[in-house]
Parts: sequence; structure tokens; C-alpha cells
Amino acid sequence: MKAIMAALVAETWKGILIMWSYKFNLIVSMVTLSFVFLGINFMLGNGQINSSVMASTLLGYLIWFYAITAIENMSYNLRDEMQCGQLEQLYMSPAPAQLLLLGRALATLVVTTLQVSVMGLAMIILFGVRIPMRWEGLPVFGLTLLGLYGFGYALGGATLVFKQTGPLSNLLTNALLFTNGSILPVDRLPAWLQTAAKLLPSTQGIIVIRSVILDGTPLSAVWANGSLVLLVLHSLVFFVVGWAVYRVCESVAKRKGSLGQY
Amino acid sequence: MGDAIVVEGLSKAYTKRHAPPVRAVDGISLTVRSGEVFAFLGPNGAGKTTTIKMMCGLITPDAGSVRLNGVDVLRDRFQAMQQIGVVLEGTRNVYWRLTAWENLMYFGRLKGFAGRKLTRRAEQFLRELELWDRRNDLVNEFSRGMQQKVSIACALIHDPPIVLLDEPTLGLDVAASLTVRRWIANLVREQAKTVVLTTHQLDMAQELSDRVAIMNKGHLVANQTVSELLRIFREEYYQIRLKGRLNGHRPAWLDGLSVVTEEDETILSGSLPGQNALHQLLDNLHELGLPLLEARRVEPDLEEVFVKLVNGERKLAISSTPEEGKATL
Repeated sequence: MKAIMAALVAETWKGILIMWSYKFNLIVSMVTLSFVFLGINFMLGNGQINSSVMASTLLGYLIWFYAITAIENMSYNLRDEMQCGQLEQLYMSPAPAQLLLLGRALATLVVTTLQVSVMGLAMIILFGVRIPMRWEGLPVFGLTLLGLYGFGYALGGATLVFKQTGPLSNLLTNALLFTNGSILPVDRLPAWLQTAAKLLPSTQGIIVIRSVILDGTPLSAVWANGSLVLLVLHSLVFFVVGWAVYRVCESVAKRKGSLGQY
Repeated sequence: MGDAIVVEGLSKAYTKRHAPPVRAVDGISLTVRSGEVFAFLGPNGAGKTTTIKMMCGLITPDAGSVRLNGVDVLRDRFQAMQQIGVVLEGTRNVYWRLTAWENLMYFGRLKGFAGRKLTRRAEQFLRELELWDRRNDLVNEFSRGMQQKVSIACALIHDPPIVLLDEPTLGLDVAASLTVRRWIANLVREQAKTVVLTTHQLDMAQELSDRVAIMNKGHLVANQTVSELLRIFREEYYQIRLKGRLNGHRPAWLDGLSVVTEEDETILSGSLPGQNALHQLLDNLHELGLPLLEARRVEPDLEEVFVKLVNGERKLAISSTPEEGKATL
């Protein structure tokens, strides 16, 4: 257990070091993130930026950003390591590869939180956006991430087998942006799209987080009205299914002898 | 000495759509003793890398098993991975965006090795490999040879008893190759490691290994000690010196022999299947009228043995264990 924890910490630390070594990329993606957010608000406000609705959009948008970094990094890093040749060394660890992927997801979480904090602070200072700080948001956010990591595992597994999953990853992250309620509330989507949107990993998380942070609904109330229960189930199912998909794909890649091939 | 690696009936076939399966490894069995340097040779596509990767659990075999110090690779991955360190063929077994020191710390912890033991061992390796002064430089600033040294150090940082090196000197210059060779020799001599080495550099295999397995088309075609292998072929490898030159005349019965002319001498060398063939050749040479200066058995090098076995010119009876490894022709 100690050896496995050491491997997990090593993977997280390595992830942070490597991401930090690309500081320029981190800054550019943060600036891009900010401009896209302002652009979206500009369009939603018919040519004006309305800071009164920005808090809701910002919250959803930031969750979406966490979602895409979690999903993309799991598959992108695997693809990169397959191309370069380190993936097989990763598999020489006594720790299970899924756990190591969780380590790099934690590294992504740290770096993304840094980016999001800077961006959020800029929005608060420049546009007077007010997001109440409520600790109840943290467990809800954690649950949302759990589902997203499940999604990431499934995509990572697909990368082990199919290698080129960039277009699939783009499709999924764009689908998330426009349908998971980050920009437009889900209840304003057509009925069929609402059903599809609610199956995505971050939709329910955004609904509950907005309710808890912006409306001040206590956790007991969101549990009682069933939305938190739905989020727990949703995230658990995504995580377990994603983990299982990854294991199956890993087994397929090992049988095909293509684990480290690109 | 106990058995470090026991491979039994290992097979792997790769299937592709609309094509018959390719049998990369076909039922091989072998045993590597603790503290032995075992060279795994064969032409490209012989199945060496597939076998090495099955030994590491990176490829799932269709049949057979691999035990590392008694631990089954497929059944007890956690324990098995602590038995081995591997450098796989390719240039980037390590992270180029990290420093040499960061790579060693990362790979050590990844394999469950931590604390002061880890830092001491990392320092020792970097000093031995003459990288200590550059430990805080990014690996992408290193030469190919230095990168390979870091790769090898990372593979061994957790102090595994078994080391698998797949083409460890590929692409290295002479000096870097020499450092790696010395290091491999040191691994066995001073640290009592078991080393499995795949290489196309047969001189290195001959210099470093205790035993050699040669693979061809998924099968083992030899599994002997180097001296045993050379002895077998020495029995049929001859050199014949004649006074005078062939003067462009090369009869068909000289096919398969190398013919070199030096001043006023002709030197024939090559293998002859038994005494009768030697006598027949000497009779034929006598008819040419060139005086015989010398006929003697000579020891071939591993390269000549390798070519004969891979081309199927000679076949050896193969056994999986070192005790049974007395080859028969």
C-alpha cells in the first residue's frame, strides 16, 4: 500500500513538473479561456456584458474547463507517452496504471485550479462578478470530478486501443460546452437534447453546484429534492464504467501487443 | 545459483484482418540462472522484443508462463514488477522535460522505492555514469548517449535483481557504448544482477554473456553457453592455406567457403560437415596442383555461428535449462 501511495504521489508530482515546464502554454490557455468566456457573455448579452448573470455562466464555464482538462489530459498524455516511449515504463510500476492516471488527474486538478483562480480573480476585479464562497460547493465539485474522471478513463482506454482519439475528444468537449448547461441552462434546450445533456457527466454537477453556491441551498435540501442523490449515482456510474472500460481496453491492447505502439 | 527467469511454452501470434496470423513467438522455453548475463539474439522480426515484453507483462501471451524469481508475471504483477528493471528499445524511456535527478526520483518512487535509500542510489548512479554535474539539467539537453545512461539508471533505480536490456547500445557512439558495456559487466560482477540482453552487436554479446539464445522466426535455434556454442562450430570450421593462387579459377565445389588471396598464398575458410568432406576438399585441391601449407580447425566468432543458425545451415537440439544445454549437432 505504501509503495502504491508513493507511486501515486510521484505521478502527481511529475505531472505538475511537466505541466509547469510548459508555462507559456498555461498562460496562453488561461488568456484564451478568459477571452472565450467574455465572448460568450458578450453574445448572450446581445452585445453587452451583463455582470449580474456572469456568476452563473462563470461557474458553469469553469466546471466545463475542469471537465475538458480532466478528459483531454488523460487521453492526450497517454497518446504522447505512446508516441515517445514512456508508457511501457509506466506499466512497469507495481501500482495499477489506472491509479497512476488518477495521479496525473490530480496534477491536472492542481494546475487547472491555479489557472481558474487567476481567471476567476480577474473576472471578479474587472467585472465585479460575485461568487459566494460556500464550503458546500466542494463535495459537490468533488463528485462532479469523479464522474468526469470516469469519462476520462473511458477515453484513455479508447486511446490505448485506437490510438488516434483527438477528434473524439474534441467532439466530446465541445458537446459538453454547449449542452451541459455551462452556457445555456439545460431546461432551455429542446426536450430530446435535454435528455442527452442529462446523461453527460458534468450536467448534473453544474445544476447542483449552482443551486448550492449561487442560491444558497443547503446540502440537506439538495439531497432531499433528489438532485444530489442523482449526482452521486451519476458520478459513481460514470467512474465505475469508465474504470471498467479502461481495464478492458488495456487488456485488449496487451493482447494485441500494441500497448506502447502508436 | 537459483533460476532467475523461467519461461515455459511461451507463444504469441498477432492477428490481422484479412491476413493469416503471424506467429511471433512459438512455444519457447528457457531458463536464466541468477547472476548470469543471458544474450538474446536474432534477426529483426525474430520475436525477441515480443518475448522480452511478455517477460515484463506488457504483452499477454497466448500460451505459456513467465516466472521471475519464482513470481508469475501474469498472476502476481505487483511482486513481479519489483523483480525487474527494463530498458526497452527506443530513445525515450524517460521524460525529457524533467531533469536527470527528477527522472530518477520519479521512476524510483513509481516502483515503490523511496526515502534516503533512493537519493543515495540516485547519487551513486549519476556519479558512476559521469552525470552528477549535470543532474539538474533537462534530459532534452543531453546527448543520445547521456539520455541512454539516464534510461538505464532509471530502470535500475529500485535495485531489481533482474535487468532486461533491449538494444541498450543502439545508436550510441563508441565511447558511450563502451561505458554502457562496462556498466553491464559491473552489474553482474559487483551487484550480482541477472542481465538479459538483446542486441545486434554480436561482439558485445560474445564479450559480456555467459549464455546465448538465438531466436529465428519465433523459435529458439540455440540456447547454449557462448563457449559451448563456439566449441560446437569449431569442430567443423576449418582454415586451409595453399601455396599459389587460384588465378580466377573458382570451381563449384568451393561454394560456401571464403577464399582470400594474400601475396602468393590462398586461404580458404569455412565450415565442412565432417571429416569426409574435409578429405574430399583436400583431394580436390590436390588435383588443382596447389601445394598444401596448412589445414587446421579454427574457432569461428559468434557472428559466423549466428549466420549459420539463422540461415538454417545448421540445427542444434535445444533444451530449456542450462543443465540440459549441452548442445548436440
